[in-house]
Amino acid sequence: MARTKESRVELMRGTLDLMILRTLLPGPAHGHAIAKHIQRTTDDLLQVETGSLYPALYRLEAQGWVAAIWEKSDKGKRARFYRITPKGRKQLASEQSKWDSFVRAMATLLKPTGEEGP
Amino acid sequence: MSSLLKRLRWWLQGTRKEAELREELQFHLSQEAEEQRVQGLREDEARSAAQRDLGNEARVREDVRAVWTWRPLEELTQDVRYAIRTMATHRAVSLFAAFSLALGMGANTAIYSFIDTVLLRSLPVPDAESLVVMTWRSKPVKSGEADEFVLRDISGSTYRSSDGGVEARIFPYPAVERLQESSTPFLSSVFAVFRGGRMNVLVDGQAELTYAQYVSGGFFRGLAIPPGAGRLFVEEDDRQGAEPVAVISAGYAKRRFGAIPNAVGKQVRINNASFTIVGVTPEGFEGVEPGAAKSLYVPMRSMSVVDGDGPSFTNPNYYWAEIMGRLRPGVTRAQANAALSTAFAQWVATTAASDAERANLPVLTVDDGAGGLDTLRRRYEKPLYLLQAIVGLILLMACANTANLLLARSAARQREIAVRLSIGAGRFRLIRQLLTESLVLAVVSGTAGIALAIAGTRVLTALLANGDDGLLLEASVNWTVLLVTMGLSLSCGLVFGLAPALQTTRPQLIPALKGSDGTATIGARRSRIPRLKLQQGLVVAQVALLILLLVGAGLFARTLANLQSIPLGFNPEGVLLFSINAPQAGYPEASAASYYAQLHDQFAAIPGVRAATVSHSSMPRAGRGHPIKLNGMPLQGKYRLMQTGPRFFSTMQIPLLAGREIEERDRTASVAPGVISELFARTYFAGQDPIGRRLSIGGGMPMEVEIVGVSAAAHYGPVRYDSPPVLYVSYSQVPPAALQQMTFALRTEGDPMSLVPAVRQIVQNTDSRIPVTDFKTQAGEIASTINQEIILARLCGAFALVALVIACAGLYGTLAYAVARRTREIGIRIAIGAKPGSVIWMVMRDVCVLAVLGVLTSLPIARALSAFVKSFLFEMQPNDPVAITVAVAALVVATLLASYAPARRASRIDPVTALRNE
Repeated sequence: MARTKESRVELMRGTLDLMILRTLLPGPAHGHAIAKHIQRTTDDLLQVETGSLYPALYRLEAQGWVAAIWEKSDKGKRARFYRITPKGRKQLASEQSKWDSFVRAMATLLKPTGEEGP
Repeated sequence: MSSLLKRLRWWLQGTRKEAELREELQFHLSQEAEEQRVQGLREDEARSAAQRDLGNEARVREDVRAVWTWRPLEELTQDVRYAIRTMATHRAVSLFAAFSLALGMGANTAIYSFIDTVLLRSLPVPDAESLVVMTWRSKPVKSGEADEFVLRDISGSTYRSSDGGVEARIFPYPAVERLQESSTPFLSSVFAVFRGGRMNVLVDGQAELTYAQYVSGGFFRGLAIPPGAGRLFVEEDDRQGAEPVAVISAGYAKRRFGAIPNAVGKQVRINNASFTIVGVTPEGFEGVEPGAAKSLYVPMRSMSVVDGDGPSFTNPNYYWAEIMGRLRPGVTRAQANAALSTAFAQWVATTAASDAERANLPVLTVDDGAGGLDTLRRRYEKPLYLLQAIVGLILLMACANTANLLLARSAARQREIAVRLSIGAGRFRLIRQLLTESLVLAVVSGTAGIALAIAGTRVLTALLANGDDGLLLEASVNWTVLLVTMGLSLSCGLVFGLAPALQTTRPQLIPALKGSDGTATIGARRSRIPRLKLQQGLVVAQVALLILLLVGAGLFARTLANLQSIPLGFNPEGVLLFSINAPQAGYPEASAASYYAQLHDQFAAIPGVRAATVSHSSMPRAGRGHPIKLNGMPLQGKYRLMQTGPRFFSTMQIPLLAGREIEERDRTASVAPGVISELFARTYFAGQDPIGRRLSIGGGMPMEVEIVGVSAAAHYGPVRYDSPPVLYVSYSQVPPAALQQMTFALRTEGDPMSLVPAVRQIVQNTDSRIPVTDFKTQAGEIASTINQEIILARLCGAFALVALVIACAGLYGTLAYAVARRTREIGIRIAIGAKPGSVIWMVMRDVCVLAVLGVLTSLPIARALSAFVKSFLFEMQPNDPVAITVAVAALVVATLLASYAPARRASRIDPVTALRNE
């Protein structure tokens, strides 16, 4: 088992979870669609590795933040669709506000400080 | 938590989950390929691009799977599965090991359940740990010499204490009152109880005898139990002249009134006195005497109403009341002890009348009372611990045996394990695998053991309760016991699993892999020696344990045989016994004798009754003494009395040596006729003709008796004790107050018990208030008095048989394995000319050595244990040569039987096949 990989997953787990939950907000989607959606909406800035997407999905399911169901995809094939649960929404909201304050904090910190100095 | 549950569910659905994941990833791949194709890639390029994007699919699956499983659990499943497969392939060995372990555990759990119920469990009351019981101890008291001890009258029992003195838990009532006053700073309550025996409770015209307890007013408050319905006693209920009230148990309320609340407020007649039931005890409370459940509680002071006259409340030298109390919070037992023993010492000194009495005053101690009063405890403590020791030995044997079988099996698997070690399996992992196998075995046998324990507890309850009407045991397998069994089974699993596991995984790969059986290389030889030592040690231990059990079984069987061969002097076969107590049920005392006579005549007329008689007790339970004077001089020695009706000797078939027996016409005689036993005649009328002589009985039964006959010896009282000289007197002339319960005896044609309905009908027709109790055959009555010996003989015999089977199988297994290992060597021996006889001897010699070692080991242990066993034996010593000889002979036969088959197989080894196997 590659330990390095473990730590990389660790590093982006929170973010990836947040992204997945956000993606599912408008409606259910299968794994591939989720990956593509993240890629497209971030203008290919964020590449979601399939290798971490699926474990993340199962982890979220274990947490009860998403629920999975087998359904026909638009091309008539059976696909596993993920749907955000009320518990997931709550989690998303709290993660999002945490993320927002983190971003705000970072922005304040990185802002040029000249004008505000004593 | 829910996440954990979900994981567990996923883990349970492992295979389906796996398939779904594959499908999901396939879908992802096809989606991705589709997209690539749309962007203009060729079919195969698109597919490989998708594949690249996904990366290593197996690893993705592995990562996902890691979410829903965790490794230890996964490995455990593997191990358990593998263990079950292995057990299935070695079916006979596994079954046998599981069976013997289950038996060991089941027996241990069953006996432990009893120990727990009778000896260990606290009373089901709040804060039982703060309860105390008063005990007194004194120096030894010479029996029969008056004016040496302050205890002059007694209703209850004293015991011999461990230092040879006397100890008891009964006190005079003035002592109870004194302790109640002086204990206030230390005890929040002091309350007294007195055994009520069986009382006749009449509910709506239906009479029934039930076990009752007299309690002082503070009893229920002191125990701090809430009422199950109505109210429990308060101090005011226990006053002279108070309204007569009673409290009953929840079980009794349900049985006699249909439901608990129905009982409250009901009027009942207890021993023909009117009582109001004011309350019901809570469910689960069965009195303060574990194992002897009580259904009825009446206040102490109503004793005069219920019993005529009971023990005195004012006599300071009459010992009868048992005292319990509850410590105040923060007070230790030692503090209470110091204060109360001083108070009691001061009080008891005032009750002494002579210097001799003052020299040996009882000393009070405050004992732990969490377990309640311990009358039963004294009776069952030793037999229960003996049985526990016996079943403990069985469990040890079963463990040794299983270890042996596993050892043999793991040796056979040495090659498999060597292969696994050499391709890189960790030793720890392998040990864990092997331990899992033994744990699975232990769990399987533990489960079977619990089932056996439940059945065993029932059987044992029935066995112990037989004939012991004071014993109402409600032993059931409870959680404590279950935990103990589970603990036992797990530790057994570890014990018998660890040794073989450590040995077989010792890395000695080369010889094992070469397929040699271990005799060829030095390295293997070295590893073989400790294993054989361990195995041989286990066999020796089994033989030693077996000898102990066999000797024990022999001793108990011989004790029982001795008891059963005691000449009774009367014919116990085909006799029905039952008891009737007319005065207790409210029949006028003055006419009780004529009522009994009337019943006697009616019973004699039942078709199928050849003869009928009546006496105050059955022969094996008799024991009544009053002082007798001859010519104004008190008779010396230990003689006894029996109140009998007409035809006693002809019904019992006791021959008369002189004179005549008591007959119907004697009912109206002015002087009571009496018959003396042959021993009585020899002791008090040596060389004289006793016929026509007069005796005067005193004490509680003052009357004159004229001797009309002398009977042959008939065993009076428990068979275990010598029969005393007996005077049989006609009950018709007995003073009414001394005539209470009578036991009828009907000698019948055919099954005695078939007459029970006819008897009930007759009594019902004469007086419906009077219950008929204790229907028994005479033979059953005798058996019930030696119940303990019967139980010990039967159980120990059964256990010894089981142990014999276990040991035989163990020997057989060991030997069969040894022969299998030595096939090549034996083949060579045969090839160079060894005779079959010498091969057989060569194999059996080893076993014989082990058996002899086992016997030698067991003898000193047997000697050490003999002191403990001695009190259970009758007319024999623990080193009884017959028992020991039989045990050793049984062992020899068993050893020969067990070892003959493998030895014979060894002698038939074909040298060519044996050597070609290499």
